[in-house]
This record gives sequence, C-alpha cells and structure tokens, in this order.
Amino acid sequence: MLQQRGSTPIEILRYAIIAVILTVSLFPIAWLITTSFKPADDIMVSPPRFVFKPTLDNYVYALQKANFAHFIENTLYVAVVSTVIVIVLSSLASYSFARYNPGGGNILFFILTTKMFPAIAVVLPYFLIFKEIGDTAVGKAIGIGLDRQGALIVSYTMFNLPFAIWLMVSFFQDIPRELEDSARLDGYNRLQVLWRVVLPLAAPGIAVTAIFCLLFSWNEFLFAYILTRDAARTITVGVESFFTLRGILWGPVAAAATISVAPMLVFVLILQRYMVRGLTFGAVRG
Amino acid sequence: MESAATKNPGPATKARRTMSDTWYSILLIAPAMVIILFFALVPLFYAIDVSFRQADLTMGGIQGFVGLRNYREVLHEAYFWQSVRTTVVFTFFAIVIEMGLGIFVAFLIHGATVGKGLIRSLVILPLATAPAVTGLFWRYLYDTQFGLYNYFLSVLGLPWQPNWLGDIKLGLWSVIIFDVWLWMPFVALIALAGLQSLPKEPFEAAELDGASSFRVLRTLTFPMLTPVLMLVFILRTIDCLRLYDSVATLTRGGPGSVTETLTYYLYRQGLVFFRMDYASTMALLFMYAVILASGYALRPLLARLAMRAGQR
Amino acid sequence: MNNKLWSVLSLLAVVALLGACAQPAPPAAPPAAAPTTAPAAGGCKDADRVPISWSTIAGFYTDAMTSIVKDFESKNCVKVTIVGIDNAQLYDKQIIEAVGKTGAYDVYNIETAEKAGFAENGYILPMDDYIKANADKVKYDDIAPVLADVTTKYKGKIWGLPYYTYTQGQFFRQDLFDDPTEQAAFKAKYGYDLKPPTTWDQMTNVAEFFTRKKGAMLKGQPLDKDFYGVGLMAGRFQEIQDELSGMILYKGTDWLKDDGSIAVKDEGNLWALKFYVEKLLPYAPPAALTVTYDGVMNQMQDCQIAMTANFFLDQWPNAANTENKCPGSKMGIGVGIEKTTYLGAFLMGVSSSSKHPKEAMDFVAYMAGQEAQTNFARQGGSTTRISVLKDPQFNTPESRPKTAHFAYLLQVFDNMKDKKSNLFYSPYGAKLYNAMGPIYHTAAAKEVTPEQAVQTLYDEFVKICGGEKCTVNK
Repeated sequence: MLQQRGSTPIEILRYAIIAVILTVSLFPIAWLITTSFKPADDIMVSPPRFVFKPTLDNYVYALQKANFAHFIENTLYVAVVSTVIVIVLSSLASYSFARYNPGGGNILFFILTTKMFPAIAVVLPYFLIFKEIGDTAVGKAIGIGLDRQGALIVSYTMFNLPFAIWLMVSFFQDIPRELEDSARLDGYNRLQVLWRVVLPLAAPGIAVTAIFCLLFSWNEFLFAYILTRDAARTITVGVESFFTLRGILWGPVAAAATISVAPMLVFVLILQRYMVRGLTFGAVRG
Repeated sequence: MESAATKNPGPATKARRTMSDTWYSILLIAPAMVIILFFALVPLFYAIDVSFRQADLTMGGIQGFVGLRNYREVLHEAYFWQSVRTTVVFTFFAIVIEMGLGIFVAFLIHGATVGKGLIRSLVILPLATAPAVTGLFWRYLYDTQFGLYNYFLSVLGLPWQPNWLGDIKLGLWSVIIFDVWLWMPFVALIALAGLQSLPKEPFEAAELDGASSFRVLRTLTFPMLTPVLMLVFILRTIDCLRLYDSVATLTRGGPGSVTETLTYYLYRQGLVFFRMDYASTMALLFMYAVILASGYALRPLLARLAMRAGQR
Repeated sequence: MNNKLWSVLSLLAVVALLGACAQPAPPAAPPAAAPTTAPAAGGCKDADRVPISWSTIAGFYTDAMTSIVKDFESKNCVKVTIVGIDNAQLYDKQIIEAVGKTGAYDVYNIETAEKAGFAENGYILPMDDYIKANADKVKYDDIAPVLADVTTKYKGKIWGLPYYTYTQGQFFRQDLFDDPTEQAAFKAKYGYDLKPPTTWDQMTNVAEFFTRKKGAMLKGQPLDKDFYGVGLMAGRFQEIQDELSGMILYKGTDWLKDDGSIAVKDEGNLWALKFYVEKLLPYAPPAALTVTYDGVMNQMQDCQIAMTANFFLDQWPNAANTENKCPGSKMGIGVGIEKTTYLGAFLMGVSSSSKHPKEAMDFVAYMAGQEAQTNFARQGGSTTRISVLKDPQFNTPESRPKTAHFAYLLQVFDNMKDKKSNLFYSPYGAKLYNAMGPIYHTAAAKEVTPEQAVQTLYDEFVKICGGEKCTVNK
C-alpha cells in the first residue's frame, strides 16, 4: 500500500516533501558547517555574510589550542563502550520481559520510573559515589572514579538502560513465537534459540536502540560536567572552553561541532543498514 | 504448546521446566537490574533523606532534620508552580507537533523506494550534532541583529521581525520550535523501525483482498504500530517534562522567566544556590507526579505486554 | 551474514582500537601554546615535579596565561595543569569540588562577590603569613589599593591575590561625538554641546539622539541598518546587575547597608532599575534582552550602537577592533557615568584541601607578581598592578589596540576608592549576586514592573540570608 511502485506523481510529491523537510532540518547544520570555515570577523555581522574567504584557522584552533581531539577521543570511547554494554544487557533483559514478563509488569514499570527522577538531583550522590569508588584500589585499577572514563561509562549505561529495555521489548514481542518453538523442536536450547533465531530478527530494533544510545551518550552534558575535570572531559563540556572572556569563539565552536558530527555520522551509516527488515523471516517459514 | 520431544526426558520434566523458566527469565534480567537498582536506589534514598533535612551546601552542608518544612516551602513557592505550568504547556505543544510530524515523516520514508538509507542518516543529523552546540547556534540564528531567521524574513519582504528570544510572548515557542527540530527525527526513526518490523503477510493478504490504502492504514498499520508509538509518546513525554538542555543553551530560562522549566529551576536551586534540600524535594515531588500520571497511561500498555508474554 | 559479520567485526575493531588508545587518565597536558622559555629548572625531572591544578576561565586570556605558566615551571619544580572552565559554570564546579573536599584544584579562580563565601566556609587559605614572609616577591602594595581591599580582604585577612580585573568604565564611538553635523543637530535639540555623557540624564539624551532607523542619516550618510544609542547587557546573565551597580552606588546606596540590612528595594535601588528599564533600554537593540558583554561587543563592532553603558574595561581589545570592522569609526574610553561603576577582579585563592599549599601559594604569588603581570599586559590582559598600568610601554600608539584602557583603569581606581559595595564583604555574597540577574532581567523583559522586581529581590535576599540582615564583615 505505501510501497506501491506505480503512481509517479505521488513518488515525485513524496520526494519533494522529503526534500523540503530535509532542507529545513539540515539548514541550521549547513550554516554551522559554513560558519566553521569563516574567519572570525565574518561571523558576527549583520546582514549575514554568505560570501567570504574560507579558512581552516578555526579547526586548527579547536584541535591544537583547545585540545579538542582529546575530548573527541574520550567521548567516542565512553559512548561506544557504554552502548555496547547497554545493548548486551538490555537485549537479554528485554527478551526476558517480552517472553516471560518477570515481575508481571511491575519491574518494567519500576525501570521506567528511574527516568522520571530529574538528573540534577542525583548528580551529587553520583559525585560522592564515584569519589568513593575512585579512592579504592579496585576503582583506580579499572578506571572508575572522578575524572575517569569509567565513571562516565557506568553513568551512561545506567542512563540508557531503561530506555533501551523499554524500546526493545516491543521489538522482541513482534517476533512470532512459532519461530522459537520450531527451533526448540529442532533441538536447540533456549540460549541458542536466542542467539541464532531471535537476535537476528530483532536486528532493526537493536540497531535503532544502539543509534540512540550512542547519540544520548554523545550529547550528554550534566554528568560529564559534574564527574569530569580535564582528563576525561567530553565534547559537550569541552565546547564550553570556547566561551571565553573575550566572548564566544563562534568559529572554533562551529569547527568543534562539525568535527564531532563525523563519528556520529559513521555510526549511523553503519547501524542503519540493520534497520532493514527481513533477514531470515521468510527463510524459516518457507 | 511446549512439545515433549526435547532433550530432557523424564517424568520430573514438567515441574523442573516451569521452575527453570522463571529462573531463566530472572537470570536474563539480572545483570541489567543490578546496575539499575544500585544506581537508581542509592541516589533516590539519598535524595529522600536530604529532602527532610536542611541542606545548603555552601552554608554548613547537610544538617539536621526539619521534617516537612522543605515540602511546605516548595509547595508555597510561586516560582515553583510557574515552572510547573511552563513545563506542562511546553510538553503539550512539543509532543503534539513532534509526534505528528515524526509519524508523517516515518511514513514518507517508509514508502520511498530509493535512498532510504541516505535519507535516514540525514534525518538524524540534528540529533547527532551535539544539542549543547546546536542550542547555542540557534541562539545565534534567533538573534534579532545577527540571526539568519530574521534576515530571511526581511528578505522575503515580511514586516515581521520577531524578537525570538527576547519577547516574553514568543520565548516558549522558540524553545518548542527548537525542540521539535531536534526530536522529530527520533520519533520518525523509531516509528520507521516499527513500520519496517511489521510482518509482511497481513499486508500481502489485504492487498490480495483488494482493501483500500486507507482501510489498511486504519485497521492494520496503526493498530500494529500502536505499541511502538505509545512507547515513543511516553519516552518523549517524560523527556519533555524533564526539559533542561534546550533551555540551558537557548534561553537560560528567559526571556523574563517564561522558559524556566521545572528542571531548570531545579538546576538553579541545586547547583547555583546549592540548596540541595529544595532540589531534592522538588525532584521527589516531580517524580511522584509523573509516576501517578504515567501509571494510568501505562496500564494498558503493560497489560498488553503481559498478555503477549503470557501466550504460551 | 557476511555483511553483518563484517560490520560487527569492524565495530569491534573500532572499539578495540579506542580501548588501546584510551588512557585511564593521567592529567592532560595544558593546551599547546608557543613555548617562551628554556627547559626544566636545572636538575628537576618531570617525575619529581609537584603537580598543581588551577581551575580558571577558559579561553583567550587563559591562553596568554599558559606561556606565563611555563615561565613559572621553568623556575620551580612544579607541573601546573590549567583546567579551563566556562565562566558561567566556574563557580558551581569549584564549589562541588570544594564541598566534596576532593583536592582536585589547588588554586581557584574566585570572583569578587564570591570571595567572602569561600573564605567563610573555609574553602581557601589565608595568605597573610606567606605575604609577610615573601614581601619582595609579592609587593602587595603595588596592587591597586581599592582592588586589593575589595578582592582580597575579609575579616581582616588576605585571602589570595587578584590577577585580572574587569572593572568598568565606558566605551563609545568617538567619531560620532566629533562629527560636526551631529554636534549641530544635538545642540539644536537638547541645548547643550554634544560630548560623551557624564551624567545619567545626559546618557538618556545621547542614547535617544543616536537611535535611528535604517535610512536615516548618521554623520551625513544614510544608515544601511537600524542604529541604536546604547548597548546593554540585559540578558538573563549576571552582568545586568553589574550595569546597575554603578547607578545604585551613585545614589549613595547599595544592595546591603553597612550593618547588613537589605536595601534592594529602597529609593536609590528602585530608581536605578526604573531608569534602566524606562530610560535606557528603549534605546538599545532588541537583542539586548538576550545578550551579555560579548553580544554588546559584537554589536559595537558591527556598527550597531553608539556607546555602552558602564562596561567592562577589559573588553577594550574587542572594542578597539571596531575600528577594523566598522569603517570610519574611532573608539573612545570613559571612566563611567558619574565616575561610579562596578569594580572587581578575579582572585587566585589556594584551596584548603590542596595537597601542596606551599607550591600553590608560590604559583599564585608568581602569577599575580610583577613579572607575570607585565607579560600578561603585553598580551592584552587587564592587569591589577599599578606599576604595570603606569608602565610607559603600554601607553604608546602601538600598544593602543591592546592597552589604551590602562590609563582609565587607574582613574577609575582612584574615583572608586571610597565606594566599595558591602556585598563583597558578605559570606552570602555569591548567592545574593546569583539571585539578582534573573530577577532584574524579568523587569527588563517587562514581565514584571520594576517595583515588583525589587520586592521579589528583597524576598529572595531575606530567604538567602535567613532574615532581614545579611552578615557583612568589613
């Protein structure tokens, strides 16, 4: 129905609307990227300047003087590791909730309520918790403590788990039970069924969840701000170093933001392939 | 139903099977729950404790019990209620627009034949570019002197030069627009994933039966999509109620105080004035309210979940 | 399956690579800046260096400080890590570390209004003994006296040393005041000669005079965009109260009286807010409601405003840049309306939970010392030392774009020597100060009337101080 290949006028209209939406959506980003190549004196002018002499000064400043590569590295590491942990843990948990519903819905509800507590009120306890852990030998060894990446990884895992679990439950429930049953008949045990049959079919859901977990970790500000100082500082906090006494350095801010988008874009491009349905669905049935 | 032709023979099978199903299910959720329980409950109890004490971090730190004083003071504070109202108004408009647009876009992309992957990747760009920075940039875009939006308005010949971030009548809408720009891709992508997860059979059957597109949408697509859409609705609503980042970068609560949402007010109390007692109290009141409200909204969803899980 | 496997493997590879690269956190090296000095002090190996961490404001002037820090490191067996933090968050971040007693920062960057609170809470160490023992190194008397008093003294002790002053004066487009066409028009309309305003009534007249729409004439040329008489920092930040403070002090009152009683809704205070909202704001760009000092500087450089109100003199290099960006412009500096403005500097204080207080104090003494301050001034920094402000090398035409404001700073220090706000001596200072911005801003945004705003501010002060008086310890 929505995938009729006929009616070219509809197709043209469809793509036209998509184009408009994309333009509106991407226009501020395009302006951001343009600004990143502008010399400082061309940025804050009225009327806005569209013609200018491009320069790489902003990128040089961001990467060298402001040590931005360090922040990107931190953010990348923290986002990827925490997302991997979240995906693993939440896949297992969501599958369980989808098939067995332990706790009869109460545990699931509880998980969601953890999102309802404003982060600002938990930031101080987290600060104290990580301060204590960071003072122990174990904490120092693993790298969990104030201004260590481990603290952020744990925080972001906690931050994203409720969202991931809830999101994936419905995706798991959409997978017909008959497939698992027939696999069991074929002699596979429960774990094997999970690994070989269910997870591949849940790929679109997992991919979407992974993308957003990455994004949320990437963009997170409050915990990064409170729990890090310099060594584990992330992009969102690092950008603040462009808010100087001489004013906001818009050029370097734009450059930093543009650089930060690149890894995210790569992740999205990799993961969005999995959002395509139908890996083995027909095969098992047929 | 479970077939007896399994690897585990023996009469005690059935009883052991049910037990180990339960344990299996608990085992699966255990790792996640350990983390959630520790990192959610410890801060929660801490906050509950602090909410009953005097706690001004810069004046003596966390001190003795004051009973319900904090609760009384917070509930009598006009600013508190104003921020609640701001939050609710914002959430309402933002969600309606976001969900509407997002679902629409999801359908658009779902039906596209070429370039789906590219479109998907592009659509998510607003969210992929750190909102901390884009928020700042939108401040610049909204500027009456240097900003592009007013420039375009003047180029188009319109006499309207709104003071997006300085007019108390417009301020909240400016934040709503920014938030919709930011989160519409979220709604769209999840709805899209939902659409693409739908099994093909029912739709192929409907097509064979000659059902109209509209009928299919109404009786097949939306009912099957409802769980996913409900989920997005709930997640986004909770997040909108907790709105902080957009306000912090775009308006800092201004113009005047029209965009001071509850969490921004909380932030000021907790991390600028360091009144951890008020902050904890407000956080608890907020959570309580949201739990109550969502309890009602979530009941049908959870019931449906239980039903589908119970199908054995 | 192959595709999927490939993707999973490549993702794992990425993670593994990052795992190999990610170090569990040795403190990051300070951002690379042009090294100005010889290698480590003789015989001092890197591993032996005492680590000191300095939390301060991110950005340009901190970059200038980096090269000066390297000088310090070459003469002392110390390794300094500069942690740059956005000005808006600096206070919060330092307090959290101080309250948590983490010892993360050895040296703090403290604003004048925050000094008393830090001292009262025991977050910083008094430096009297150190200064006495190192009088020659510190040369305390060389620091502008009024600044030294206001930024370092509390309860009879000295709590650190100031290294960067943001004391206010005024900037204006001298070329507009020198233009004969404008002079004639002004005389005709107001009856007296056009000159940079020195009273608040003159301020309103001049602001009104120069506010013109696009197409109107300025200096005999039609304007290609709207022009405004004055640029104001009326956004929801902390600077709106800085603009108001000069007006309040001029009226002979203050936010707090000498005995600590709260004066924010008295006649003088109310006059200041009303004047600001009714007689100045109408002549500022609409964006005034959303900006702070960098916005005003952007407006000035873009030929949008004729002058600032009382404004931070340390922004002179930005103001001077107007002459490059706005054709025909020439910048002038003033000492502020009625010679009464906002005074203050950033203080370097040593944390009481520092593990190396001696080295930290050496560091503070060096950075606020004459050699470092001269270096700092050379790079455009607003120094706090009289000898440096008077140094002839900074009063030359070549140095003008960076240091023309020095002469005016000296005048302002002299003008303000008996006008020190009591807020700076109250341990509640930081909170009271933080409360002001949003409330004054609501009046500017016309969400409430000035009367309502000062009443709200009064109530807020009472709440913060727990009564009708806020302790003031001069």
